[in-house]
Amino acid sequence: MSRKRGFALAETQLASFDRSTTARCHVQRPDRYRLLEALPADARRITRGGGVSFVGASFAHDSVVQEMGAFDRLLEFDPEQGRLTVEAGARIGDVTRFALSRGWMLPVVPGHPRASIGGCIAADVHGKNPARDGTFRQHVEGIELFDAQAGWVQLGPNQDADHFAACFAGFGIPGLMVRARLRLVPAAQAYSLRSIAVANLVEAAEVLRSHANAPLLYGWHDGRAGRFGRGAIRFGLEAKDGTTGKHRTYPDLPETIAPWPITAWNRIGIAAMNRWVRHRQFVAGQVPTAAALFPLNEARRYFAGFGKHGMNEAQWLLPHASYAEFVAALEAEVRRLRPRISLIASKLFEGKPTGFSFDGSGIALAIQMPQPRQREQAAFIESLTELAIIHGGRPNLIKDSSLQAATLPRCFADFDNARNALRRFDPAHVQESAMTRRLGL
Amino acid sequence: MTTVVVGASSGLGRALAEELARASHELLLVASDPRDLSAIAADLGLRHAAKVHTLALDLAATADPGARVLAALAELPAPSALLLPVGQSRVDDDGSLGAAATGQLLAINLHAPITIVQALLPALLEARGVVVGFGSVAAVRGRSRNMVYAAAKRGLQGFFESLRHRHSGQGLRVQFHRLGFLRSNLTHGMRLPLPAAEPAQVASQVVANLEKASFDRHAPRWWALVAFIIAHLPWFVFRRMDA
Ligand SMILES: Cc1cc2nc3c(=O)[nH]c(=O)nc-3n(C[C@H](O)[C@H](O)[C@H](O)COP(=O)(O)OP(=O)(O)OC[C@H]3O[C@@H](n4cnc5c(N)ncnc54)[C@H](O)[C@@H]3O)c2cc1C
Ligand SMILES: NC(=O)c1ccc[n+]([C@@H]2O[C@H](COP(=O)([O-])OP(=O)(O)OC[C@H]3O[C@@H](n4cnc5c(N)ncnc54)[C@H](OP(=O)(O)O)[C@@H]3O)[C@@H](O)[C@H]2O)c1
Repeated sequence: MSRKRGFALAETQLASFDRSTTARCHVQRPDRYRLLEALPADARRITRGGGVSFVGASFAHDSVVQEMGAFDRLLEFDPEQGRLTVEAGARIGDVTRFALSRGWMLPVVPGHPRASIGGCIAADVHGKNPARDGTFRQHVEGIELFDAQAGWVQLGPNQDADHFAACFAGFGIPGLMVRARLRLVPAAQAYSLRSIAVANLVEAAEVLRSHANAPLLYGWHDGRAGRFGRGAIRFGLEAKDGTTGKHRTYPDLPETIAPWPITAWNRIGIAAMNRWVRHRQFVAGQVPTAAALFPLNEARRYFAGFGKHGMNEAQWLLPHASYAEFVAALEAEVRRLRPRISLIASKLFEGKPTGFSFDGSGIALAIQMPQPRQREQAAFIESLTELAIIHGGRPNLIKDSSLQAATLPRCFADFDNARNALRRFDPAHVQESAMTRRLGL
Repeated sequence: MTTVVVGASSGLGRALAEELARASHELLLVASDPRDLSAIAADLGLRHAAKVHTLALDLAATADPGARVLAALAELPAPSALLLPVGQSRVDDDGSLGAAATGQLLAINLHAPITIVQALLPALLEARGVVVGFGSVAAVRGRSRNMVYAAAKRGLQGFFESLRHRHSGQGLRVQFHRLGFLRSNLTHGMRLPLPAAEPAQVASQVVANLEKASFDRHAPRWWALVAFIIAHLPWFVFRRMDA
């Protein structure tokens, strides 16, 4: 395919984090700049960052997968202004550790520390309190991108602004991002974490709204009929003195987690796990910033427990106005269909919805379920999708493998415009993943 | 003192640069593309507060690479260590390469390392320093693939033997690592009959050995057994070997 020194492709089996999508792919691992330019302009390709999306967003069986792991270098740091330029393959966990060591941090980091900066931009990820800090786009000042046709381009809010904007929740379509300039904020040395018990998801929303300014703010809830929505809102405030008690540090959650041979999240397993989560939620105290930002490092066994049939995470952002009605209807569906929901997470959003980004004003619920292809589970997911659409919900495309092309125009009133705003920068559909195909992007 | 790494932009060379920066060496990194070198230099500077200098040079298109490296060192502290993890192999190296491609392979794998060693030798002797070369398991016994590459690597091994013979007892340490498979773009996508080592793992062993006396050994060490078996296979068996 290319004669450039060092160009190589390997045939590799890739899988999405939720195990819903697998494909044998041709994977390139560019480790020098000329190798980013090595593919013929018309060769179908897709960029892969950390590869830790729940869905198959960074591979397809007939696209060359350009894996950015080697482009993980820190390029420039301004310790006065808190500006950091990095290569797009740098992992958010590594970037966070570096920034914290200099007294700075990124206010928006997703739950998986191995997500790359490119992946965080391409999915416009949210962090621990999107109502306060917005999404990733609020913290990026510039992007350097390699476009298959146009070559190297510099993008920013005042430089090719449409192309810059398209990169956020662009899912790799607007081109291969190679470098980004990030805006950091002064770091908290530690967070003081507290939990407030809630009896249901409506109460959860009230607690979320009343703590909108907390740097860390999210809820964990039981999804079982009879206990639906019971849980806790966890909030974290910057600790005054920065001291932390004895705190076990966990290694970063790996990209791929070997599944247990059986699905642990049957009804008994879910009951036991909910008890454990409840117990953990109410542990209060001061926690080092890095640990508070990546609590899922402790969740390796939780993800392994989904077994080889995997999981589904359906995340919907419901407007405040229809939220309570949605929750009531959902609870009724849970009572009727009795799905196995391993956990529900809640977050508050107060942003502006743009394109396909997961943003807006309302409450987001992420509902995790084992064995999504099992008949009863699939029926519930279908019904959840319908309910969410009826109530004006906005789906998170980077998380939910159950979404289909036909569903999207019903969720995004300006679907065609949003898709055209991305494909404008790739009219030949050179950038394609299993996800962009499934969703007709 | 400066440590020079030739072929520092990827694979083992990049891992060596990282390991050396962590050990506080001041570095001169050499490879062909300034974009790769400046990214690595910036990263090592930020993460390890290392002093890193770079020289972008296409070794296949430079008549006297040694002179260029020496010139780049003129403004820097004297060199005390030279590491040469530079190399290139090609899938079409099966005896059918033309003169130009053959010349390039010989330049990268043999001519450039030799001329750079020769240019830096006086300074390295003065510093009682170390020169580190990298061979390949491909050079154990010639096969129908990697023909020019294997010949060049065997030539390099011979040069390092001579270097050690010539300078033993003069304080210069001459270290030669005969490498087995490494997980880098040189082997990406190849079906390998034996496991490939991580460059970072080999790099940490190479750097840990820098202060040791001269040697010529396999890395990872278990490749010695593989090399022994390959070297002693009866011809009628070896003839049929594919990989
Ligand atoms: C356990 C877990 C927790 C999570 N928590 C959160 C959370 O709290 N908030 C949240 O918003 N998300 C969360 N996510 C989702 C995750 O952050 C996103 O899917 C993110 O995109 C993953 O980054 P990645 O580098 O692994 O991207 P990949 O999975 O490799 O790719 C994702 C998309 O980004 C594109 N892409 C990647 N790099 C580049 C590049 N350099 N140039 C152009 N396009 C590129 C790909 O083409 C693809 O479309 C979570 C996921 C998991 C598995
Ligand atoms: N990989 C293996 O399995 C294996 C096995 C046995 C031995 N080896 C040997 O081990 C050493 C390291 O291998 P590796 O896998 O790390 O290789 P690699 O990733 O391909 O790195 C080779 C290095 O050599 C540089 N180089 C090649 N041609 C050049 C040129 N014309 N001008 C300037 N620099 C040039 C490259 O830089 P640029 O491309 O940026 O110019 C790169 O930095 C090599 O000597 C190799 O022969 C490797």
